[in-house]
Amino acid sequence: MGLRIILTIRIFTILLVIFCLTGAEAGAVKYERSVESVTIPDVVLVNQQGDKVRLKSLLETDQPVLVDFIYATCTTICPILSAGFANLQRELGPEAAKVRLVSFTIDPENDTPGIMQEYLDRYQAQPGWDFLTGSRQDIDRVMKAFNAYFRSKMDHQPLSFIRSQEDGKWIRLYGLMSSSDLMKEFQQTGGK
Amino acid sequence: MMRSSQTFTVFMTKVAIVHVVVLLLLAGAPRFSGAADQPALSAEEAYRLGERMYREGILPSGEPMQAFVNGDVPVSGTSFTCVSCHLRSGLGSIEGQVSAPPTNGRLLYLPREPYIKGYEHVPSFHNYAVYFQPRPAYTDETLAELITSGVDPTGRSVIKVMPIYDLEDRDLEILIAYLKTLSDKTSPGVSESEIKFATVIVEGTDPVAVESMLAPVEFGIARKNSLTNASAANPRVARMGYNMLGPDLLQKKFSLSRWVLKGPSSTWRAQLDAYYQAEPVFALLGGISEGDWEPVHRFCEENRIPNLLPIVDYPVISDNDWYTFYFSRGVRQEGEAAARYLHGMYDLFSGRAIVQVSRDSRKGNALADGFRAIWADTGHPAVIDIFLKEGEQFSQQRLQEIISELKPAALIVWDDAAALEAFTGLPALADRPGLILASGTYVGKALWTIPEPLRELLSFTYPYRLPQDDIRFDTLALKVLPGKKYSDYDQKIIRQSYITNELLGNALMDMRGEYYRDFFFDVIAMMADEYYPLYERVGFGPGQRYASKGCFIVQLGKGENPQLERRSEWVTR
Ligand code: HEC
Repeated sequence: MGLRIILTIRIFTILLVIFCLTGAEAGAVKYERSVESVTIPDVVLVNQQGDKVRLKSLLETDQPVLVDFIYATCTTICPILSAGFANLQRELGPEAAKVRLVSFTIDPENDTPGIMQEYLDRYQAQPGWDFLTGSRQDIDRVMKAFNAYFRSKMDHQPLSFIRSQEDGKWIRLYGLMSSSDLMKEFQQTGGK
Repeated sequence: MMRSSQTFTVFMTKVAIVHVVVLLLLAGAPRFSGAADQPALSAEEAYRLGERMYREGILPSGEPMQAFVNGDVPVSGTSFTCVSCHLRSGLGSIEGQVSAPPTNGRLLYLPREPYIKGYEHVPSFHNYAVYFQPRPAYTDETLAELITSGVDPTGRSVIKVMPIYDLEDRDLEILIAYLKTLSDKTSPGVSESEIKFATVIVEGTDPVAVESMLAPVEFGIARKNSLTNASAANPRVARMGYNMLGPDLLQKKFSLSRWVLKGPSSTWRAQLDAYYQAEPVFALLGGISEGDWEPVHRFCEENRIPNLLPIVDYPVISDNDWYTFYFSRGVRQEGEAAARYLHGMYDLFSGRAIVQVSRDSRKGNALADGFRAIWADTGHPAVIDIFLKEGEQFSQQRLQEIISELKPAALIVWDDAAALEAFTGLPALADRPGLILASGTYVGKALWTIPEPLRELLSFTYPYRLPQDDIRFDTLALKVLPGKKYSDYDQKIIRQSYITNELLGNALMDMRGEYYRDFFFDVIAMMADEYYPLYERVGFGPGQRYASKGCFIVQLGKGENPQLERRSEWVTR
């Protein structure tokens, strides 16, 4: 492609990205909360141990479930989200294993079970926190089901979900929330 | 009340005390003097310790750094640290809607304006600059306060995303000294008027391959330089160039030297050192070798010189090396993909054997090693390995023996096109393995000549987008060969080098005039996944060093002009 064309297209994308950035910062102060119905796709994903996991059975359970979207080489967003999950497990102490924390990778090409296990180890994850990968197609289906579709890692946004134990609906949380806010939301949806 | 909040309160009290102590110390003569009982550090030692805090989150004492995120979440420095967000160069990151500003001394100790000096009217730079809040220049004291209590020099709290750190004075001093070294002096190979690059060519490489590697990169560089020339002569071009590149990149010419390596690979290092001493370059672009690359890889690692996308079959496989960015894991990646594919269907094998036949050649071994490594991770029983020695033909008889003796559920054959002969009688054989898998790139062009009855019996690894789908990129690839005949070149290599040219241009534009080698790879790490020619999908990310991670399993379709048909997704787990 001629350099000119490349340059023009490139700058156009930069403009878009930066434009989004400015828009988001204003909203980042407080997280946004909404209630969503999610139809969990019937896909089989792979966890950090390389085991196959049928997503429906993992998520449609009596246990409290929290979900987020991360990837192993992510910069600013994932440290904050994962610190939140790690902290929740710490706060729950011996109860941690009774709460399902599920992190979906949005970078299935890179995130192999080995890489995901290493990631969880870094956060001293306890049993109950799974990191799932799969084919691009299946991961796309999951992202779309949660209305959290990222075309690429560069569109990544801080999103977490908590499944309500009462009606199976999902509380969608958008923003880099503090751990106490996450805990509060978790308790409100029936988690103890 | 939650445990972490209590810790936080205690911590904040401590921060306040430390802060007072720091201020008191600063009032006196020696700035940031360490505690009296601690020995003075040499500059190199301080640098090493600072780098370890910045990159690994480990204190000089060897303990993890203690951070608090979002005001209340305690996190160990080994979960993540400065480098995770501010990246290796310290020039910051952009991800989705969140970004981290530069944290190198040079920029911290300058006031931040809502513009970048010299780039006020360049749209992309302007949009970057207004994203961050203006602030006065930091001093050692205000920087210490930012890191330990999350308050910037305007009094604004940054703890929403920037963690605060519990650090002793001396450790803080070491960290700040390190920040001052980050992206400080422009990297070698860059002057006001020029950026020097080189490309490494192993002598004896097929000349068509070499030309195919060079053409797209040389095209890009010639284009860039003619824009620079034209803008010197024509104000309209200059204005356009300014808007796109900014004044600085616009005026810089690019040069590309050819560093040809001769003789055995054990002598390459000395040749590289001599080339580099004669002409320090900013980065190596592309490069090509049909065999070894390791000495070039090591040279780049030790001199911290980025090498962007060399065309090699045997890249160095490492989780931690930094300075060479490869297209893929090379030949080995097909073996790895084969293992994942078999793993996905393992239940169908009902415990029957898997046999891996591999030629004892560099290619055969790379494929078989890749397979074994992934297979070992799956925890399945090891496969039965059979090696073909040099000159030994994989015959029909050998195939029959393997099938009748071992009755494998799956047979993998890592050999070149000559092995296809062994399968001639396959359709008539009883107890055929359910899956027979070979390497599409090792078999090469013969893949398209497989006779009809065998097509549905043989599967192949194929680490590229299928040819019929990749055709749509022909016009793009042709643009980098103006006035030349596509058929004179190796189409695969043209496509690879096309990607190199794209990434180079994009990266330099994203660098905002900050010509640091580490930043060059940092900006590439921040790029979105791409649908480029040749590979179904390529992806980037800090520390990711193999752009294409996928591979299809294919079979040859029916008919006179058969096409490859997918039997798997691009990436299988
Ligand atoms: C989780 C990601 C993250 C980590 C880890 C992190 N930072 Fe930051 N840092 C940020 C973000 C985001 C900002 C901008 C915050 C704002 O302005 O609101 C920032 C701001 C800063 C600033 C202020 C820059 C300015 O121009 O005002 C400095 C200095 C800094 N960080 C240094 C560090 C150091 C040193 C470390 C490691 C000890 C570190 N950061 C770890 C994300 C991070």
